[in-house]
Amino acid sequence: MKHISTVEGFTDFRKLILDHPEDNKVCLVLCAGTGGLASGSNDIMRIIKREIIEHNLHDKLTLRITGCLGFCEMDPFIIVEPGNNLYPKLKMEDVPKIIDAAVKGKVIEEMLYKEPGTLKTFKTQQDIHFFKNQTRTILGKNQYLDPIRIYNYIKQDGYTAFEKVISNPDFEWIINEIKQSELRGRGGGGFPTGIKWEIARKSGNGETKKFIICNADEGDPGAYMDRSLLEGNPHSIIEGLIIGGIAIGATQAYIYVRSEYPLAIKHTTIALRQAQDLGILGKNILGTNIDFDIDIVRGAGAFVCGEETALIKSIEGKMGQPAQRPPYPVNKGLWGFPTCINNVETFANIPVIISKGAEEYTKVGVPGNRGTKIFSLVGKIKNTGLVEVPLGTTIKKVVYDIGGGPSGEKKIKAIQTGGPSGGCIPEKMFDIPIDYESLNKAGSIMGSGGMIVMDEDTCMVDIAKYFTNFLQEESCGKCSTCREGTQRMNEILTNITEGKGKEEDIALLEELGPVIKDASMCGLGQTAANPLLATLRYFKDEYIDHILKKKCTAGVCKEIISSPCQYTCPIDTEVPVYVALIANTKYEEALKIIKKDNPFASVLARVCHHPCELKCKAGEGGDAIAIGDLKRFVTDYGLKNKLHTKTKHVQKIKGSKVAIIGSGPSGLTCGFYLAQKGYEVTVFEKESEIGGMLTLGIPEYRLPRNILEYDINYVKSSGLDIKTNFALGKDFTLNDLRDQGYKAIYIATGAHQSLKLDIPGEDIEGVLPGMKALSSLNLGKNIEIGKKVGIIGGGNTAVDAARRVLRAEISESVAMIDTARSALRTTKPEEITIFYRRTMTEIPAYKEEVEGSLDEGIKIEFLTAPKKIISEKGKLKACEFIRMKMGELDESGRRRPVPVEGSEFTVELDTLIVSISESPDISFLKKEGLEFSKWNTIIVDPETFQTTKQGVFAGGDLVTGPNTVVDAVAAGKITALSIDQYLSGKEVKREYKITRPSKYIEPLELSEEETDELMLAKRPVMPCLSPDKRKYNLLEVEQGFTEKQAIKEAQRCLRCELETQDGKEFIEKLKEKSQEKQEA
Amino acid sequence: MNLTIDGIPFDAPESWTILETARFLGLEIPTLCYHEGLSAWGGCRLCIVEIGTGDRTKLVTSCTYPVEEGLVVHTATKRVISARKMILELLISQCPTSKVLQDLAAKMGLNQVRFSPKWENCIYCGLCVRICEEQMMASAIGFANRGNELKIHTPFDKTSDECRRCGGCMYICPACTTRCEGTNPENVLCGRCENTLQPTCLEVYENNYHCWMGLKGECGTCVTENNK
Repeated sequence: MKHISTVEGFTDFRKLILDHPEDNKVCLVLCAGTGGLASGSNDIMRIIKREIIEHNLHDKLTLRITGCLGFCEMDPFIIVEPGNNLYPKLKMEDVPKIIDAAVKGKVIEEMLYKEPGTLKTFKTQQDIHFFKNQTRTILGKNQYLDPIRIYNYIKQDGYTAFEKVISNPDFEWIINEIKQSELRGRGGGGFPTGIKWEIARKSGNGETKKFIICNADEGDPGAYMDRSLLEGNPHSIIEGLIIGGIAIGATQAYIYVRSEYPLAIKHTTIALRQAQDLGILGKNILGTNIDFDIDIVRGAGAFVCGEETALIKSIEGKMGQPAQRPPYPVNKGLWGFPTCINNVETFANIPVIISKGAEEYTKVGVPGNRGTKIFSLVGKIKNTGLVEVPLGTTIKKVVYDIGGGPSGEKKIKAIQTGGPSGGCIPEKMFDIPIDYESLNKAGSIMGSGGMIVMDEDTCMVDIAKYFTNFLQEESCGKCSTCREGTQRMNEILTNITEGKGKEEDIALLEELGPVIKDASMCGLGQTAANPLLATLRYFKDEYIDHILKKKCTAGVCKEIISSPCQYTCPIDTEVPVYVALIANTKYEEALKIIKKDNPFASVLARVCHHPCELKCKAGEGGDAIAIGDLKRFVTDYGLKNKLHTKTKHVQKIKGSKVAIIGSGPSGLTCGFYLAQKGYEVTVFEKESEIGGMLTLGIPEYRLPRNILEYDINYVKSSGLDIKTNFALGKDFTLNDLRDQGYKAIYIATGAHQSLKLDIPGEDIEGVLPGMKALSSLNLGKNIEIGKKVGIIGGGNTAVDAARRVLRAEISESVAMIDTARSALRTTKPEEITIFYRRTMTEIPAYKEEVEGSLDEGIKIEFLTAPKKIISEKGKLKACEFIRMKMGELDESGRRRPVPVEGSEFTVELDTLIVSISESPDISFLKKEGLEFSKWNTIIVDPETFQTTKQGVFAGGDLVTGPNTVVDAVAAGKITALSIDQYLSGKEVKREYKITRPSKYIEPLELSEEETDELMLAKRPVMPCLSPDKRKYNLLEVEQGFTEKQAIKEAQRCLRCELETQDGKEFIEKLKEKSQEKQEA
Repeated sequence: MNLTIDGIPFDAPESWTILETARFLGLEIPTLCYHEGLSAWGGCRLCIVEIGTGDRTKLVTSCTYPVEEGLVVHTATKRVISARKMILELLISQCPTSKVLQDLAAKMGLNQVRFSPKWENCIYCGLCVRICEEQMMASAIGFANRGNELKIHTPFDKTSDECRRCGGCMYICPACTTRCEGTNPENVLCGRCENTLQPTCLEVYENNYHCWMGLKGECGTCVTENNK
């Protein structure tokens, strides 16, 4: 490179480059920052180079290898210029196709970027929401230059500001310009850069040696803006440093960068050498008598060395411990000389301000917070990457418009700004603007710009623990508050996450946090309590849940939850134990474990919505274990071999009588556990058949009647007295029961009343309430159902009703399948339609049921809502519907359906079944002195299920509204404990314990091949009757796993419970034992 | 340098720190890592005082803060005292065997330790490191590691030729002194023979407190006066 020694020479040189005409070649822009390289852009690079050489495309195609472009989620990607077509997530084999199309000037539509979720294709990069909603003043240049080519930088107007400054080196003008721009330190402190430079300029006696330092010690977990700038555009930092050096009168600069950033170091070193060779760095720059040089200092990776006084110590070669300020580095810094330290991003802003002028710069942002700021957006978000927005932009815009919202199905809960020194901001506050003051007020900080998005699977106590753990390791240890304070915070938080927290811990943390903040020496300590205090401020209830209820809602804290499946199970079934027993082919033992916590084992094995599977760890990145189906395998085994058909009959030793109203799953469970404790229990049932919703609401093809009977007989064997056709309010009152000597009463009468549509013309013949239709069909009662049937609703009742109607005729007689009969049927599947107002993603009915009904030929009209019922001669004729579209998010976080004007249409119907939801029938309870909510449910203490009336308890759907079977069983189980406490004269109080299995099962010993096979194995497909064989009869649809399937599936279990402290001890003991054996 | 310290206007020499000024005036500020013969360190944080007026006040270590023109200092506000107590609670739970710490606890009226004792015998005040370097000119010991793994030892934890066994480090150490047994030797806090009244002035005078006697209210006079 030619060494230039005059300002004019440099001006001519720049002019030469700028005037050089652009070539019109197609250019492939490859993002090859550290993030890109990690995703494989190196391979892509090689293939592109090979293709160019092999096909001799040198004059048609160029390749530009750039630093990070920020869209890290889509790495490795290529942008094809001039069309700016973005091809994301490339594989090596895709590259030749893209090159081929690019050379021909074509675009491969199907490989272009598609927005996740909407799957909309975007042709140009500028249209993609991620880029469209940003203001990329600083970061945008990365795309147009190869960081190791100074010509590229100059071509992109680089060194304009330098030229301006060097041709007239007026430090007062520079400082004034920076002050006017209102630029504030981008490292997080937000100190006005202009003022800092002014102090640095005035410091010393005019001849004192001064230093300027660029702080690139970026240590926050999840933040990498500084890295991307040094990697992608090192010359802009050099330019900023030279201007800063001239402004304050420094002769030497240092870039303090961490060793973990090898690519940044490489690119910066190359850039520095280029600048030195060109003559814009070194002694007597361009003949102006200004000496200025830059060196790189590599930090060894201590987080605290990002603090300026510690950084200075580190450059001096001393231990990286901060020093108490004052004196401030601008007065007495590196080796005792005035030193000005600024962040990488601050320096990146300097050339922009100087070349465009402060006035232009202040047009972006809000007063007091000018310009743009780069954030690294990571965590549970769709578009992970670097985003640059004007200060003052709301968090909402960054998270939803640019970030694209949550990555999974869970709602976003909070965002952590400022890394470990920052705090979290809850979702409800996402309207606040991102500026230094607002974030501070919210209890967080701007920090260097890390933004970690957290969803409902994130435990806030665990997050606080993670950050305090980071800080206790990274605290330098010099000052007592930071060193001991962070350790003690971490100790207390660890105790809380392990279920050992004490009530007074919260008060202690609230006292300790502010002292650490107040009395620590440096920025690290002064902000160390932020993660804790912010989570305590916004998510205190999570702390209280952990301490008092041993509950971690997100299911993260291992020592509390043991295994997520057992923890999530409302009735505390020891899932990992029975799954492990199945893997060991010990089915009877597995059955015993299941039955211990679940009197309705066979029923729930079929109808449970298995919340356990949603939290299964195997489901993260793979298929969740088919827990429900495995349970069914075991219960079927028990059924076949007549195991545990009865429970032990306990003598009625307690001497107290308990009455239970309603023989549904909740009532029977409560009775079962009370009888087992020795109480005399009587169950009163209004209907002629027992089982409640299990009998009335769940059709036989899902729950065969012999299975139901088997479980009910099991429950009955505990010694329950059941009186059917005996209704509360009609045959007796609660007071009658008291007079008869019942000391406690449990009401669990369920929610059987279908809600109305509330549209005109609803009360006519042909419109049926969903529950009435379903229960009549299930009980085999006569009910008139026409040919064309419409069902409104998307819940299980609606789908069950649809499928049951399809099977209607046969159920009245004997189940017989022959084609002749089905041809004569009144209702054909294609004439049954479910109308639901949202889409397939939101439908609340179980997925397998919805898919099952579609397989059987039932139609589902999504985004449709009824508007009007049309009748003829008092009979239903048709129904008018209106199309809906998904609108804004409502409070529950679901998108609200809104009607589409003018999209009304009419469907002719003979029968309309309305099952939008159910509510409890409380007419017979009105006079009993109980309290009700506005949803017609009984108000109870949610902990103990006690009603407002002494000795009366209530649970199940009657309390919750329509809910799942397992929750009803859980309510019965908990109430049994409450009633026992009540009748024993103890305080009625729910006791909470951390979750643990009753025993540990030895892990399987598998060979490496077997393990590998299991790693790749998928969840087995449940064998089902084919739609043809099942749709007109009541045979059970799901056939159950084969033994081979079950064992293999059970082997897939990750055995989370063995990862707790107790589990590890168990493994240790096992090892010891086997060693002893070997020795013996 | 004209400054006001606990309400006393005073003209301090330019090179003084707040601590030196306060001690000159007879105002008591507890310290652990400070020693007249050594450079100021600012590590133990016990000597914090509150500077500034109105809403713009902050806590600074008096041992390192140089006097400034017009500075307003309060050496014992509520904020200062409660922070000091918390700091001492942290330190004493780390090293309950230190007599120096126990005496301080008694003096400051610290009557609870809510953290589990670590029974270490170092509080990392750095006095030994500084005496070794600055007075003995040996630099035989120093800090190693950071955060929860911070240690003070010779290079690589090996016996060092630099160390002349002068014993200066042991002489100056506030932690490895033998603790007096008191009435409760096994407790984190000892029997506190020296314990006297709680400082009551704080409640009476809020943040305007300054005790002419330098007794931090242990005499109880202020309360009696106020009650009159």
